[in-house]
Amino acid sequence: GKWKNKERVLIFSSRGINFRTRHLMQDLRTLMPHSKADTKMDRKDQLFVINEVCEMKNCNKCIFFEAKKKQDLYMWLSNTPQGPSAKFLVQNVHTLAELKMTGNCLRGSRPLLSFDPTFDKEPHYALLKELFIQIFSTPQYHPKSQPFVDHVFTFTVTDERIWFRNYQIIEEDASLVEIGPRFVLNLIKIFQGSFGGPTLYENPHYQSPNMHRRLIRLSVAAKFREKQQVKEVQKIKKKGSKVLIEEDPTEVVFETPAEEKPVEIQLVKPESKPIVKDKKKPRKIQRKKQKKLFRTE
Amino acid sequence: DGLKQCLSEFKQQLAWVERLDVTSGQVADPVSQSASDKDAVDPENDFQREMSFYRQAQAAVLEALPRLRKLQVPTRRPDDYFAEMAKSDQQMQKIRQKLKSKQEAMERSEKAKQLRAMRKYGKKVQTEILQRRQKEKKNMLNAVKKYQKGLSDKLDFLDEEQTSSQGNKKGSANQRIKKGPNAKRRYKNQKFGFGGKKKGSKWNTKESFNDVSSFRSKVAHNKGPGKGGKKALNKRPGKRARQKMKSRAR
Repeated sequence: GKWKNKERVLIFSSRGINFRTRHLMQDLRTLMPHSKADTKMDRKDQLFVINEVCEMKNCNKCIFFEAKKKQDLYMWLSNTPQGPSAKFLVQNVHTLAELKMTGNCLRGSRPLLSFDPTFDKEPHYALLKELFIQIFSTPQYHPKSQPFVDHVFTFTVTDERIWFRNYQIIEEDASLVEIGPRFVLNLIKIFQGSFGGPTLYENPHYQSPNMHRRLIRLSVAAKFREKQQVKEVQKIKKKGSKVLIEEDPTEVVFETPAEEKPVEIQLVKPESKPIVKDKKKPRKIQRKKQKKLFRTE
Repeated sequence: DGLKQCLSEFKQQLAWVERLDVTSGQVADPVSQSASDKDAVDPENDFQREMSFYRQAQAAVLEALPRLRKLQVPTRRPDDYFAEMAKSDQQMQKIRQKLKSKQEAMERSEKAKQLRAMRKYGKKVQTEILQRRQKEKKNMLNAVKKYQKGLSDKLDFLDEEQTSSQGNKKGSANQRIKKGPNAKRRYKNQKFGFGGKKKGSKWNTKESFNDVSSFRSKVAHNKGPGKGGKKALNKRPGKRARQKMKSRAR
């Protein structure tokens, strides 16, 4: 057949990406035969330069990876001439080369795209769905593609994020094995233009990684400060001045002194009481010393 | 609304074959407790989450494959179709090796566990048997001693061993026990065994000096029957005779 659907996707990145991102990019390039690669873009250039790069390469879609602080990875998906674009924060990246991904598929075979029902419920998700479909589906009869459909991409919305998985179809009864790669996309914003333009949608649940790290640090600091405060309060309590109670003049009314007993002088020694052995009490152990004294005497 | 407008502008009207997208819920899982309610999936529970993704993919596949077959798009790769795969053969080998090694390690640990358990059990059984044997031996000896000392003239202890009592064997056993060990055995016991004072057994005491029981007069006077005439042949001449011979030889 003839290749009619002329989609070309430009996949490239900025400088300062780490090995995982690089491998992810390479994996996407192998999985999508309708993709083109480009050199790393300098961070100094503005983002709308990318539109020009795409035009030069004759691509109408773009996946751009941007790494900041050598820690955070952002991904731009865009329809280059005039269409919408979206920025995501990428997390939990696992590449094709990981040994736990045991599946394999033909290089360039067309994927099935599977979406969550949630994608139809919200307009911004519907837009994203359309973007994903146009970018990730391999056009039919593309010269580099294989005619078989043997793997499926899943996009699922869970926990306000979009989870991507790639499975190989083994049997007709839908037994699947994961091929990889895997990543999680956290939507930041959707723009009307490509890499710019008015913001169509902003994700209220998104928290920038900087904020996230800051919050963690603040919470730790807050705990520490709380402990300090508690300690200080305790110190003050200890030192605290005792409250003086005023003397109540009416208290004296109830005082009655005790009666004085007559003083008796005893002249005769009182009779000694008979010693009654208390058998209930344990016998006192006689000290050996006393016995010794008696013997010497 | 701006979104919707944008979407409507952006949306491409392509045949489904081009896009191959499926929106589906999940395949009903007979094992799952949560009644097909996606929101109940706890994103922190890794296994549950991955299973939900898996089921979604399965539902999509089950929906899409018949459609593809109708549109005559091949889904199964024929066996003789060789083409480049997304992962190289080397990579697949590595994966296979890892899986194999994991399985082997598991098997080995299982075997080791079983061996250990068996050894423990075997040792227990062994000790039980040994103890039982020792107990029996002890009892037997005690009974024998008692009988020897004459405390009990019943020979019941033999009954415990031989339930089918044969009279003959019983009688002969009695006789033997009365005499005790052999004469030879008794002599050897006296000489070598049964502890007791051995250190002073070879001294010349009054008794041993006056004891002439081991004197054989015939042996002393060389009057007994000769051993075999050997001694006569080898008889050495006396000192005087030898000196004479020596001087004569010179």
